[in-house]
Amino acid sequence: MTPRTPDWLVERLRAGDLPSGEAERVRARLEAEGGLGRLEALRAEDAAFAAAHPPGPALGEIRRRAGLLGPQRPSARRRVILPALAAAAAAAVAVVLLPRQPGLDARLKGMAPHLEVHRQRPGGEPEALPAGAPVRAGDLLQLSYVAAGASYGVVVSVDGRGAVTLHLPEGGGRAAELRRGGAVALAHAYQLDDAPGFERFFLVTGRAPFDASTVVRAARRIAALGAAETAPLDLPPGLAQQAVLLRKKG
Amino acid sequence: MAIDVEAYYRDLGPMVLRRCRRLLRDEEKAVDAMHDTFVNLLRADDRLVDRAPASLLLQIATRVCLNRLRTERRRPEDPDEEALLAIAAADEPEARSISRFVLQDLLGREPESTRTMAVLHFLDGLTLEEVGREVGLTAEAVRKRLRKLRARVAERERADVLPELTP
Repeated sequence: MTPRTPDWLVERLRAGDLPSGEAERVRARLEAEGGLGRLEALRAEDAAFAAAHPPGPALGEIRRRAGLLGPQRPSARRRVILPALAAAAAAAVAVVLLPRQPGLDARLKGMAPHLEVHRQRPGGEPEALPAGAPVRAGDLLQLSYVAAGASYGVVVSVDGRGAVTLHLPEGGGRAAELRRGGAVALAHAYQLDDAPGFERFFLVTGRAPFDASTVVRAARRIAALGAAETAPLDLPPGLAQQAVLLRKKG
Repeated sequence: MAIDVEAYYRDLGPMVLRRCRRLLRDEEKAVDAMHDTFVNLLRADDRLVDRAPASLLLQIATRVCLNRLRTERRRPEDPDEEALLAIAAADEPEARSISRFVLQDLLGREPESTRTMAVLHFLDGLTLEEVGREVGLTAEAVRKRLRKLRARVAERERADVLPELTP
């Protein structure tokens, strides 16, 4: 006995996106098994859908999740404005890692632009986090970049839910002009939320101006592909990238 | 290709919701998964190739639901659900080398998820040839992939959780 026509094919027939030959085959199969009423039932369900799930709120929610209401600004929950921490972290970075001194850029020649990530410890000095370091929801992170000769830069992150956050420049638009002289802390610290799996930060740099939205779109693409944990950003020629992956625990 | 998500939602939202209900068996979770299906569509809108939208959305919805089921600890209520949960929990036979997400197939770069193909064949009842048409593979290629997945499921669960492959 032939099993009844799969719902999958009936749905595609109802939606009109089966190739014509296959549509005829599926319709004939439905008719032979007395199943044309299934199409009517789908029509009735479709008609009731808009009232139960109105497009306005649903599309608003979909766009919100997709981050299409403009570049996702760090929310009050995720980013906290802590000038003292920023200053402390910047100082720690400057002193501990890359002391700012005249001529430092000359010594950086040959070094690639890169990000540094520090975690604030209660009552302690910021802790440098290497790539792959475990982090938790609530951790307060301070990002710093080392321009290493690059002139313009954008910093974004993607989390395990696929949310893309623009960290630099905060307001979007043209990539930030990078300061030289060692590690430069971003203006605000960043508090991790409960997104699972990972948080991956990207520094994208160029010698000529470019638009931050180029980087945001590239980050969204790898997030949509489910590849944000490992894939590089697909960027136009002339832009360099460096990524730091932190693994979420608990 | 710009996606007119509003038109897609109005026309195909009911179909997506039915798909999510069937796989998740929970109205609230199904509505949430429907939203996520359209989110995935939107996020890749400028990379999508022009292809059958109902098939596209059904495949995305299937993947979204499988990913949710994978993280749930649910006791199956019947053999169908037992098979579905086993598929959701299965490792992709080619996990290191193939796409882990349906949209990569839609970009024409990677084959569709074996887990999605398993749902189409074992749960939805599509023949190997019909599955192949959905994902752009030959029936034989689908058969090989599903054999591997079935063997892995049998190693970890019970040998008969997934039925024999049918033509």
